Parts: sequence; structure tokens; C-alpha cells
Amino acid sequence: MLAVTLAAVVATAGCGEPSERSLTATDGAARGDLRIVAVTHGVSANPFWSVVINGLDDAARDMGVAVEYQAPNTFDMVAMSELIDAAVASRPDGLVVSVPDPDALGGAIRAAVDAGVPVVTINSGEVASASLGALAHVGQAEYDAGFGGGERLAQAGVHRVLCVNQEVGNAALDTRCQGLQDALAGHEVTSSVLAVELADPEDTRQRVAGALSADPTIDGMLTLGTTGAEPALAALRDLGRVGAVRLGTFDLSTQVLEAIRDGEIDFAIDQQQYLQGYLPVVLLTLYLETGTVPGGGQAIPTGPGFVTIETAQQVMDLTRRGLR
Amino acid sequence: MSGRAARVLARPEAAAAVGAVLIWVLFAGLAGPPFRSMAGTASYLNAAAPLGILGVGVALLMIGGEFDLSVGSIVGVSGMSVMLLTTEVGWSVWPAIFATVLLCLLIGFLNGLTVVRTQLPSFIVTLATLFILRGLTIAAARGFTRRTQLGGLDDVAGYDLASYAFGSAPFAGLRVSIAWWLGTAALATWVLLRTPWGNWIFAAGGQAEAARNVGVRVGRVKIGLFMTTAFCACLVGILQAVRFTGADALRGQLQEFYAIIAVVIGGTLLTGGYGSVVGAVFGALIFGMVRQGIVMAGVEADWFQVVLGGMLLLAVFVNRYALVRAQRAS
Amino acid sequence: METAVAPRLEVHDVSMRFGGVVALEHASLAARAGEVTCLLGDNGAGKSTLIKIMGGVHPPTSGAYLLDGEVVRFRSPSDALSLGIATVYQDLAMVPLMSVWRNFFLGSEPTTGWGPTRRIDLARCREETRTELASMGIELRDPEQTVGSLSGGERQAVAIARALHFGARVLILDEPTAALGVQQSERVLAHVRTAAERGVAVVLVTHSPHHAFSVGDRFVVLRRGRVVTDEPREALSVDRLTGLMSGASA
Repeated sequence: MLAVTLAAVVATAGCGEPSERSLTATDGAARGDLRIVAVTHGVSANPFWSVVINGLDDAARDMGVAVEYQAPNTFDMVAMSELIDAAVASRPDGLVVSVPDPDALGGAIRAAVDAGVPVVTINSGEVASASLGALAHVGQAEYDAGFGGGERLAQAGVHRVLCVNQEVGNAALDTRCQGLQDALAGHEVTSSVLAVELADPEDTRQRVAGALSADPTIDGMLTLGTTGAEPALAALRDLGRVGAVRLGTFDLSTQVLEAIRDGEIDFAIDQQQYLQGYLPVVLLTLYLETGTVPGGGQAIPTGPGFVTIETAQQVMDLTRRGLR
Repeated sequence: MSGRAARVLARPEAAAAVGAVLIWVLFAGLAGPPFRSMAGTASYLNAAAPLGILGVGVALLMIGGEFDLSVGSIVGVSGMSVMLLTTEVGWSVWPAIFATVLLCLLIGFLNGLTVVRTQLPSFIVTLATLFILRGLTIAAARGFTRRTQLGGLDDVAGYDLASYAFGSAPFAGLRVSIAWWLGTAALATWVLLRTPWGNWIFAAGGQAEAARNVGVRVGRVKIGLFMTTAFCACLVGILQAVRFTGADALRGQLQEFYAIIAVVIGGTLLTGGYGSVVGAVFGALIFGMVRQGIVMAGVEADWFQVVLGGMLLLAVFVNRYALVRAQRAS
Repeated sequence: METAVAPRLEVHDVSMRFGGVVALEHASLAARAGEVTCLLGDNGAGKSTLIKIMGGVHPPTSGAYLLDGEVVRFRSPSDALSLGIATVYQDLAMVPLMSVWRNFFLGSEPTTGWGPTRRIDLARCREETRTELASMGIELRDPEQTVGSLSGGERQAVAIARALHFGARVLILDEPTAALGVQQSERVLAHVRTAAERGVAVVLVTHSPHHAFSVGDRFVVLRRGRVVTDEPREALSVDRLTGLMSGASA
């Protein structure tokens, strides 16, 4: 019985082959017929990614195309590559995909490109993007963002900086610290990396406090995410050194924004993920209609955007609207 | 209805087979030509294969009257073991695979031994193992490399042959994992229905005391079954490590529950003593078709969780129906 | 009737202690080939303990176990089974969800082929199941039907037929008629008689003096772990047996 069923399944697999469609659409397909699928590693319940999704939806409305969003319900590269396969099998006009693990997802993305689907990568995988055959990458360049953060701290007049990395070994985060350190070196400011535990705010707070006590010359810190920023700020409060130690961070959260508004944190580096949703849809639509792609092979940076005390309140309002 | 036809429909896998056909028809309608195309078919068969392999082992074990909730964690252990042995310790691919299989068999043996000796419910014992193994996998990964995602298996000696055996897609996008799935299912079906061990498995799950009273070594049968589920999980981990040239400490999470759902949809009773590996094959196939079909139909993948919950309820009803049929079977 | 041959199975002066509880004290029972020895007594008298000792489930705290006059020790029911001592427990003899032939050959499946292709000889299983049950007077509609679809009496008959087929020399039956109606009980007792006629030493545990008296050759009554009666048929009547069981003076 099983053999018969499976044979039937495979036999019918031939039945649905439509003729090949040229997808560099000079066949005058109306925008309304265009369909773009976005597959990312971000669950839609995640606040960061829900902003990306809002960007996708707004762009879909503005461009007049259809956009679908797919993501696995846990951080799972196997599931994500299967979603990409399914999306490709559904013959979309374009594919938007994040690449947190180029090795794991490379096969599926190359298969998409080979099947004639134009691909734009977002958020992660900027280095691998071109080699996978994607048209463009839209995201924040980690090195540049770290570098920008370093410049800001240097201009604030610090002499010794700590880079608080909550996941040493994660290439993207390591690159941020590298950019920071290079920028500071240009201003003859010394820096070092403090490794902390991603999922343990209590541990982070203690380690930061310990590092600051052990070396009182540290007068600047850059944390690589809000999971580092909030405990680091708590440590500064404990030691009574808020303001004496300049603090900058990557990414936004309500707490971080309030701290910026209140002057406790100098700046947040915002990767402006709304653009990571909005721009790819625009890029693909225009590519399908005109064959053009901006960027010249370079990644299109959506960040770093710096949120400071001047803009904190505005950003908080935008956050409530799901745009930041 | 003729006797022959009635007999076929009374088999445990009948409902799942019919279900698979209905699901196919549903998605062929909802998702259109893409679902019926070779790419679409390959997409859901490939998605079904890993779950299907887990389902083979889990079906045998559930028929034998026990549960193994640690299979998902063993998938994680397996991939991580291959990666650590190759990229950290320096072995080539095939010895690493061999050692990993032995490790997984040992884990299965320990699971089984604990259940048999302590007489604690296997649900609890393997739930504990689920956490212990997952924690160890994460700790080992971080301990050696400070990361939880490892890559670079394709640079290790022996990878090419391994890729051919475990990671290739030799025919029209259909992956070799499908062959592993169907091969293990065929072997397991043979053992279950045609060998004395299979008889002992049914007996151990149906009425262990009665089996012991006629000299069946129920304890040994169960330990063997736990080693089988561990082996299946190990195979899935190896397939994924080779295909994705790396491992992730979180791989396999939640798979044990999906496997149980697929096995129950396939007609195996939660209480043991009755069921079918062939049914589990159909259960995994249904899973794959639904997962990929939803995406191909343009429905947001979030809805998969809703559908999953619905399938679980359906599985419970099917289970009850199968029990009634089994008790009346004549 | 006395014979010069040693009883096939004999437990002699056995006692069984579980912690502080004494389940059996100085109990003896002999089962002879071709005879039905009935073991009677109220709940808690120690019948289960005694037959578990006889069936090899656990050894006695003290006392001797003799098979054909020679001392033996068992470590498990499987050991006992391999020496031809089969026990049929009331509810736990069969696996209800499995077919009759699978139950029949459970643990002793005949195989064909060799090496990796060794498989159950299905044809032989179905055929022998059918014949053996037919010889006990049971006509199976379909050897694939589950044991669960059989009546209680039929299930007992299958268990007895199985024990006989696999060469049981001693057959211990634990309250086979307890849950059965009149007609089914009579059929089961007929099977018990058949077993004895085939030379098997049968030990029949029962609550019912009527059932015991309809097939028994020898009667052993237990009360509170001790043997209070051990008499052949000639020495008793149904009424007297009933009286002994209920505690009137021996």
C-alpha cells in the first residue's frame, strides 16, 4: 500500500510543471501580479523583527505588490532552509532572505538563484551575499557600525574603552568590536573586550562592575545589544558612575531609549531594521520592471543610525507605531 | 464490503493513508501547480524525511509500550559530536560518524536500562534525559569553541564520500535522506511484522506480564527499542550535519513531539501494543505536506502552529478510533 | 491413588516470608502426572504465593522444590517454563490486541530462513494454531482475529492449548473459571480434564468447591498459610469440601 502511494505521489509530481517563465520581467506583468516571499530567521513575535515585517507590509502597499512573510518558530536553520525550498517551489517573483548562517542556507539560496528567482539578502550574511548569487544586501555593516560608535566615544573624550560582547565567537558581534577598536586606535584611545553571558543579566552586571572596579581608568563602554546595555547601566548605577563613564550601545529598547532621553546613555546604534523590510521590496519591484539594482555590488547599509538625546523622544514615539 | 477490502481498511495504517491522500488533494487545490510540480514534491518529501526517520524508531518504541522524549536532544548530540570530533579533535569524517553512532547507542542503552531497572515511567525518564543531553550539547559546544553553531565539515577529510551518502540530492531534487527514511521504515516493518522480535515488541506493549510469563525477555526488548530510537535520532543528526556542513547545539528541538504526533496519526496507540511503522511513514508524509504546502499556498508560516494543534487533536481522535477498531478486530 | 513413581512436581515444607508477614508456613503439595490437584482456600490463604513458588516467580524462604523427585532451583519463570512448568494466570495469560496465532506462539515462534532473512514461519503458525485449538474443540473463524475478540472461556482454552502444545508437563491454572459463566466454566473444566488425560500434572486453583469436585483427583485446602486438608477424592464429598473451606472443623 505504501509503495503504491509513494509511486503515485512521485508520478503526479510531473503533472504540475508550468512552462518556464522569464522572471526578469520585461513581459509587462503588472505590479499587482508580482509576488515576493520573505523568509527570515526572525519569529514574528520578536519585537525587532515585527518592525521588519511592518517595513515589508508598508512597502508592499506602497509598491502595489504582494508580499508574504515566512519564518520558523524557533531559531532553526534546518527549518529555515526547508521554508526557502517551499517558497522557491511556489515560484515567487522575488525572494528576500536573511542569512545568519551562510553555510547552512547557502544550498537553498543558490538553488533559488538557479531557479531564476532574484534574491535580496537582508540583516545578516553581508559578506556571503554576493557569492550566493544575491542581487544586493540590505543591512547594517557591522564593522562600520562599530567604527562609528568608536568615533563617537572618541569625540566624547574618553581614554579607555570596554567593548562588552555578549557572544564572543559570533562573527557579527566580533566584527563590531573590531570596528570599535580600530576607530579608537586612530584617536590613541586604548580598548579591550569584556566577554559576558548572553542570557544572564545578573552575571553581566557583576562582570561589568568587576571590570570597572579593577580598572578605574575605564571611562567608556560600548555594549553590543540591549541584553548587554541594561545590565551595564545597572552596574554603573550601582557604582555611582553614571555619566562619568560614557555608555553607548547597539540596538534599541524602551529602557535604552529612556536612558538616552535621561542622559544616562550617550547613544544607541540603530540598524533601522524598518528599512531592511521596506527597501528590498522596492529593489525587487524595480529590478523586475527595469532590470536595475543600486549598490554596485556593495551592501546597502541601513545603519548605523545614531539615536541621541536630541532624537530619543521622537524615536520612542515611532517605536510605539512599530516603525523603529 | 468484501472480506479482503475490509481487512485492508482495518489495518492501523489505513486511516493515515487515506488522510495523506486527502491532504494531498487539499494542497493540490490550495497551492496549485507548484505543489504538484517536481520541485514542490521534492520539497515536502525532503521535509518529511528527517521526521520520518525519527518516526520509525518512535513508532517501534511506542508499540512496545514506552516513550522517548529525548530523541530531539539526541539529534543535537549527534551533529555536535561529529563536528567536535572532526574540527576540534582532528578526526576525519567517517571515524567521527562511527564513534557518534556508538555514542548514541550508548545513550539509548542508558535510557532503556534506567527505565527497565527503575520501573519509572519512560515519559519522565526521557524527559529528564532531554534536558540533560541538550544542556551537555550546549556546554560542550561552548566549552570547546565558545560558540553554539559550528561549521566547516566540508573541509574535513572524508567529507566527499559522506556528502554522497548523506547529503546529496541525486534525483530531481529528491534528497538521499528520503532513501534512508524509506529504507529504515522497510527494515523496521519487516522486523515488526515478520520476525519473533516484532512479536515480542507487540507483546511487551500490549501486556508485558503475559509476555514475561511465557519467557519473553521484556526488559531486553525495551532496551533494544530505546537503542533503536537513539540510532534513528543519530542518523538524522548525521544527515543534517553533512548536508549543512555543520552543527547547531539547538538542532532537533521539539522534534520528539512532532514525531509522536506523526506516529499517532499513523495509527499507533499511545497506550502501546498496537500500531504500524507504515502508518508512521504516512504520518510523516502528512506533516511534510502540510508544512511545505502552507508556505506554497501563500499562507504565513505562523499558521503552521495552528494547524499543528489541529493535527494533534485529530491525532487523538484517530487514536481513539483505532483503539475501538483494534478491540473489535475480527 | 498412590504410585511408586515420584510426583512430577512437589513442594515440601515450604514457608514464605515477606518482611514480617508470613504468607506460607510449612506447606506441602504434590502434583502427579495425569492427576488434577485442586488448591483451594479463601482470599489471603496463600494460594497465589504457593503457585508463584511453584511457577518459579520467586524461591521460598525455606523448604524444598522437587521435580520428578530431584531438587531444582529457578531464577525466573522462564527457567520453570523451560523445564515444562507452565502457569496460566487468569487475566495475564494473553495479549488482547494481538492475534490468536501470535499469542499462541509468543516466545516460541517457529522460524524459517537463516541469517538476516530469518522470519516467522507464518503458514506453520496459522496452521498449527488452527489444529491445536480444533483438538480442544475450538473452531477459529480466523486465526488473525485478536484474542480480545474471544470470550473469556475461549481465551483460557487458548492458554491451555498453548501450554500443552509446547510440552508442559506441569500445568498450573490460577482461578480460570472465576470470571466465567456456567457454560464457559464447564468447557474450561473439560479442557482441564483433557490436559490431565494427556498425562500432564495439573494444579487447579479455584474458589469453587463445585468446580473443584467436578474435575479434581486430589484436594489441598489452605487456610492462613497452612495446609489444613490434603485428601484424595475418595475421602471427600462436595459438601465436606465446602465445609473444610469455610472453616468448619476438619
